Amino acid sequence: MNTHIPLSLIGISHKTAPVEIREALAFSKDEQQTLIHLLPAKFHLGGTIILSTCNRTELYLSGEVEDDRLQELRQYLNEFKHCDYFTNDQFLYSLKGKEAVFHFFQVISGLDSQILGEPQITGQVKDAYQMAYELNGTDALLNKLVNYGLQAEKKVRSQTFLSDGAVSVSYAGVELARKIFTNLNDKIALLVGAGETAELAAQHFMEKGVGKIMIANRTYQKAQELAEKFAGEAFPLNELPNIIHQVDIVISATSSTDYVLTREMIEPYNKKRSNSPLFLIDLAIPRDIDPELDELDFVYLYNLDDLNEVVQSNLMKRQKEVPKAEKIILHYVHEFVEWLSTHASSQIINRLRSYFETLRKNELQRLKSRLPQQGFENVEYLTESITNKILHQHIKLLKANLKNPIKYEQYLEFLESLYEFNENE
Amino acid sequence: MSFLSQLLSYLLPILYLAVLFVYYRIYFKNERKYEDKTKIILLALLIVHGIEIILRQLFLKAMPLSSAFDALSFLGFSILLVYYIIENTFENRASGFFILLVAFFPVLVSAFQHDWQAEHNPLLSNPTFTIHASLNIIGYTALAISAIYALLYLIQYRNIKKKRFNKIFDQLPPLAYLENMSKRSVLIGIVLMGIGILLGHLQTQKAFGQFFYSDPKVIITDLIWMAYFVVYLAAKFRNWSARIMAYLSIAGFIVLMVGMALVLTLGRSFHEFY
Repeated sequence: MNTHIPLSLIGISHKTAPVEIREALAFSKDEQQTLIHLLPAKFHLGGTIILSTCNRTELYLSGEVEDDRLQELRQYLNEFKHCDYFTNDQFLYSLKGKEAVFHFFQVISGLDSQILGEPQITGQVKDAYQMAYELNGTDALLNKLVNYGLQAEKKVRSQTFLSDGAVSVSYAGVELARKIFTNLNDKIALLVGAGETAELAAQHFMEKGVGKIMIANRTYQKAQELAEKFAGEAFPLNELPNIIHQVDIVISATSSTDYVLTREMIEPYNKKRSNSPLFLIDLAIPRDIDPELDELDFVYLYNLDDLNEVVQSNLMKRQKEVPKAEKIILHYVHEFVEWLSTHASSQIINRLRSYFETLRKNELQRLKSRLPQQGFENVEYLTESITNKILHQHIKLLKANLKNPIKYEQYLEFLESLYEFNENE
Repeated sequence: MSFLSQLLSYLLPILYLAVLFVYYRIYFKNERKYEDKTKIILLALLIVHGIEIILRQLFLKAMPLSSAFDALSFLGFSILLVYYIIENTFENRASGFFILLVAFFPVLVSAFQHDWQAEHNPLLSNPTFTIHASLNIIGYTALAISAIYALLYLIQYRNIKKKRFNKIFDQLPPLAYLENMSKRSVLIGIVLMGIGILLGHLQTQKAFGQFFYSDPKVIITDLIWMAYFVVYLAAKFRNWSARIMAYLSIAGFIVLMVGMALVLTLGRSFHEFY
């Protein structure tokens, strides 16, 4: 349906602007609050949602915004941020109507994110909306926009694999562990090395509920410090052969030039381990773990290249889901447009009702003094009945024409000329 | 009654195919929209199959499982029931296509090969027989499911070892889960079939005065059961790897199926003694 959508968007994102420009145009919470108050009054808007994250700054503006007024608004934002980027079309994009709705649904579903499908953006949009709502900065259009956007996002995430699979090397290790072990609660992870890489991996394993963390490091003190952080157990590196049979997962990230974990170190312990799987993650360059270990039946060895391959494969899988996700989004854009046209119709109906009611009451007022009480009540009843019947006929035709955009527009034009009002008033 | 019973029997494989199609879409086409509908679909199929079994027995006026084709239909039903429980317990549909494919074939054979004649034999009207037959069929089901999980284990094992991150890798559950399911199923199969076989022997002793009757089906079942039992104990106490266990489970089930197929094809009746 050719419904007019009074929504505009101006913004920059990681796709259009480098980080230094994005930094310059990011709004602090205070700035957002100020703009939510100022913009609707200054530019006759129905409301504003300001989304400001490290990857994008976007302003969703509800109401009729003509091109010259939009230009004024951009100029105003330049002054507000003491820059000239808001009028620079090289970095800034501007969308209107259906395109703006589609873009918003893409953003909220993670389709426009730097890491495709990442879930944080949904929370960030919710926060931006919450702020605008609490400051009375939203109207029915923006409320419904967010509502339909969240529905689209939920469906995209539940019916596609857009957010599935790890997209960072350290998290890919955790995901692989969950493909080997049913749950991590009763598993022991051993960190070999106490650097940042090992720590990040350990953090992911802790988040996923690994049973216990052990740390072996050349400098025992560092191992102890990290062990305290994860409520784990620290060992000097030379203890490695004595503790390896206790663990299920090894994450190795040392700067050693020789193999830290060798076949000779692990093979004898297989009987003690009762053939249970051993997952080895080698995050070091040069490698810490002898690649020959992968030949053992119970060993699953992954190095940095392997994990990168997991990440790339997951990103490709996410990319393949984009058309499916866009189809879902398009469905919700249609739903939103349908709501809007129904909403517009109900506004017209209200206007008609009010028009007839005023007309009727004015005419009755003139008659009131000339008629006896009983007669007046009868006329009042009669006029009410006649106006309701006329109104009913209009509503019937309006609803019947809803599915035919040309007829609908023609009928609106007819109403406009007949009663001197229009849809966008 | 006969029309309804026969109609349901012919309809059943088609319904199984329709459900298989749903699982095919979930597994191979990543269509998540079907995922929240599988429970109700499976339950509906279980109910229809249950009604088909009851109607068939009422129509034939026979004890349940009194023919090979009844047994095949019950085998399909039993696999479906076990899978329904597994899916509800573990909320994982990855094995659904494979398990339901295994359930489909006995149902198909049962529907289109049925001669619609009840076998009349005093042995078959004894309730102990029904218990013996049911336990054996559920035992076969457990062994079939163990073999399927073992196969899926080997597929996932190779995926993880060879670093193949394909669709199957994504869909299959963790290795440890597949290993546990295969081991648990084989244990259930050994226990139930063991009791079923023992009941069968007790029944022949009561009827013919001999505990062991040299019937090919009895011999093959007893031998395969013994092999499963011995291998299971050996694997348990000698700590064989999950991979070896998986190969053995698949091999055991193939031998079992080939043996049963030969006996059913070459034998004059279900057992030599009736």
